[in-house]
Amino acid sequence: MNANASHLEAPPEMSPEVRALHRRMLWRRRLSRGFTYFVGILLAVWILAPIYFIFSMAFTTPETVRSYPKGVLPFIPFSLETMRFFLSSYGIVPGIVNSVVVAVITLVLSTIISAPAGYAVSRYLFKGRNAFRLSILAVRAFPILILAIPLAVMFINLNIYDNVFSLALMHTALALPLTVLVMSSVFASVPYELEEAAMVFGCTRAQAFVRVVVPLVLPGVAAAAIFTFVMSWNEVFAATILTVRNRTLPAQVFFTLNSSSEPYQFAGAFAMVVPALIFIFLIRRYLFNMWGQVSK
Amino acid sequence: MNEDSTPSNSLGRRRRRDWTPYLLILPTVLYLLLFFAWPMFRGLGLAIWNPEALLALRAEATQDSAIAGKLPQGAEVEILERQGNLIPPEEQEEAANLLTEIWFKIKSQDAEGREVIGWVPDRRIRVREKDEEERPLAGTVRPKLGAKADPLTSVYAEPNERSEVVGRLESRVRVDIVEQAVLEVWFLVRGQNKAGETVQGWAQSRYIQVFGDEESGRVDRGNAGQLTAEYIQKMTQDRFFKPALYATLILTLLIIPVQLVLAIVMALVVQARLKGNTIFLYIFAIPLAISDLAAGIIWYAIFTQHGFLNSILQGLGFIDAPITYLSVDTRYWIFIAIWLAEVWRATSLVMIIVVSGLQAISEEVLEAAEVFGASLWERVRYIILPLLRPSLQVALILRTIFALQLFAVVVALSGGDVVTTLANETFRQYSLLRNPHVAASYASFILLLSVGIAFLYLRTIRTQQELEQS
Repeated sequence: MNANASHLEAPPEMSPEVRALHRRMLWRRRLSRGFTYFVGILLAVWILAPIYFIFSMAFTTPETVRSYPKGVLPFIPFSLETMRFFLSSYGIVPGIVNSVVVAVITLVLSTIISAPAGYAVSRYLFKGRNAFRLSILAVRAFPILILAIPLAVMFINLNIYDNVFSLALMHTALALPLTVLVMSSVFASVPYELEEAAMVFGCTRAQAFVRVVVPLVLPGVAAAAIFTFVMSWNEVFAATILTVRNRTLPAQVFFTLNSSSEPYQFAGAFAMVVPALIFIFLIRRYLFNMWGQVSK
Repeated sequence: MNEDSTPSNSLGRRRRRDWTPYLLILPTVLYLLLFFAWPMFRGLGLAIWNPEALLALRAEATQDSAIAGKLPQGAEVEILERQGNLIPPEEQEEAANLLTEIWFKIKSQDAEGREVIGWVPDRRIRVREKDEEERPLAGTVRPKLGAKADPLTSVYAEPNERSEVVGRLESRVRVDIVEQAVLEVWFLVRGQNKAGETVQGWAQSRYIQVFGDEESGRVDRGNAGQLTAEYIQKMTQDRFFKPALYATLILTLLIIPVQLVLAIVMALVVQARLKGNTIFLYIFAIPLAISDLAAGIIWYAIFTQHGFLNSILQGLGFIDAPITYLSVDTRYWIFIAIWLAEVWRATSLVMIIVVSGLQAISEEVLEAAEVFGASLWERVRYIILPLLRPSLQVALILRTIFALQLFAVVVALSGGDVVTTLANETFRQYSLLRNPHVAASYASFILLLSVGIAFLYLRTIRTQQELEQS
């Protein structure tokens, strides 16, 4: 802050009027800076406070959760009892396992399918490239909700309804447009000259890809995969439609919502939020690659 | 995509076409065709096509006889006659709800000692011996009960009662079972079609639901499809349709403008080059990873009667007893809670789009404006907003389409009854009322609404640009 303001520091030989003007500008700048900080902190509190509330409810005793008026964590007893109660409830542990299985299948499938497409879009100029990109964007914007019902009917006819694999097939369809866009921006961030150089030194195109491009894009691909995982982990609508007995965690919590106690619900919300928070922290540097893409 | 298979430039030099990129995008294209385009097409179909609308009646009790008339699904019918017929082997797997008869081909001797070989319905035979696979091998003829009953059992040349009688057996005679056949019952039914004409003909039992008196029934399902407005009517006449539509539209209108403003403010804070602005960015982006269900529960924890809002208000001394927010009588509070939860959860997506739009605006332009004395508001109004228009357009379309699909937040905060949305009705029709067709109507309605709104946005924004250019 001082470094920035230093050029505004008035030299001592200036006239009093100019010095006053300088002081006013300095104040204005400090004021607007302070105001920006104020707004930023306000917004940060607005985002963080509800998360803190739910954390403090998940890590206390069920009795405290039911008490009124409620306090938050430093003032109420810390306990793992609520979480333990939630995790031992019917269908929760299988739900978590199902959620993880679905999310892992989804990320593997969508990475395998989208990586070549992303590479093609970033490296080749071909007829229909723009049409492909545009239709991917359009698919991304379409309401995904309409897919769930016909897919459910289709899966029932094919006898693969109520199955984590068929849910993963649907989640892959949801994730694919975004992963293709992210993959293309990840590949585009590796200069083609590197590949060319490798080929000049005697690599084939495939070798250049494996030895030069793959190591460079791996972090970005991992970020895209993590984001796919989070998307699948969070998805509620299709999971409630496509599963009956093999429910994922959100579907299980959703179906017991009206018949469950508050400690259960709050611990459930916490359980759903935590992995998402960890993953978003891991991929924070790639956020713009993912969503910034959409606007271009 | 490969409409021109002979690409050649103006010099006439032929270039070999490189198929690699097409091979690379092929999996994506195929996958999206199979799991995106096709289900979407099917979804629209489910909403307007009833695959079982009409039942074709046959003149004779066979599949290949002429069609005597058609009855709509649900028509009441009289059952005039019944008979068993062999089920074609290709239909055996798929048929459901059918009434069957089993017939045995038997070998035995009649009272005069003549050998009789022919078909008898299984209700006339008591099976005495079976092989390891539970196939009947031998049995005895059941005695007929009742004073007026014919004491002898007829044996037919073919497995149906209209064929020639080849012999008659006394009761309790031992028979060898050579073969068995499964027959489906056919009914001769009479009912009225949509035009009010009386139609009579044969239909398989799988299509007819028989009432207890065995003489009347209804057409359970048809074997021919028909376009129908039935499901859409059912949707629009559903008592939750209008509340759901209004709630969805009101919430969309409430959520989107606030989100855009808030996202621009967040983006300006992030771009203000303060110390720690990356921390602000990460904090603002956190809700991106939070599911709508979790967000709904989190805000439920705040708004429930013994929740945080009441706790804070009471702690500050504003109220003496907890206020009930989320109840039928205070529906507006549910709307406010859903609105806050959605603004809280989904603004980060808009923020990210706006920030990456802002990064594309050159620093010099903004600095020049500042040097010439433009206030923050003037810079936002005359430089940032016009340059952000493409990003805002995308954010607007994406957010509106997502807002039309509001689901888990609403259920978490209202229980899914008091305030309901179109997406929630889709779920309810499918999962609770077991009506996939009406559910597909709701989903198609959301799709058309989204496409219409996106089209409207694109049009208005384009017209503005054209106006500016002219």
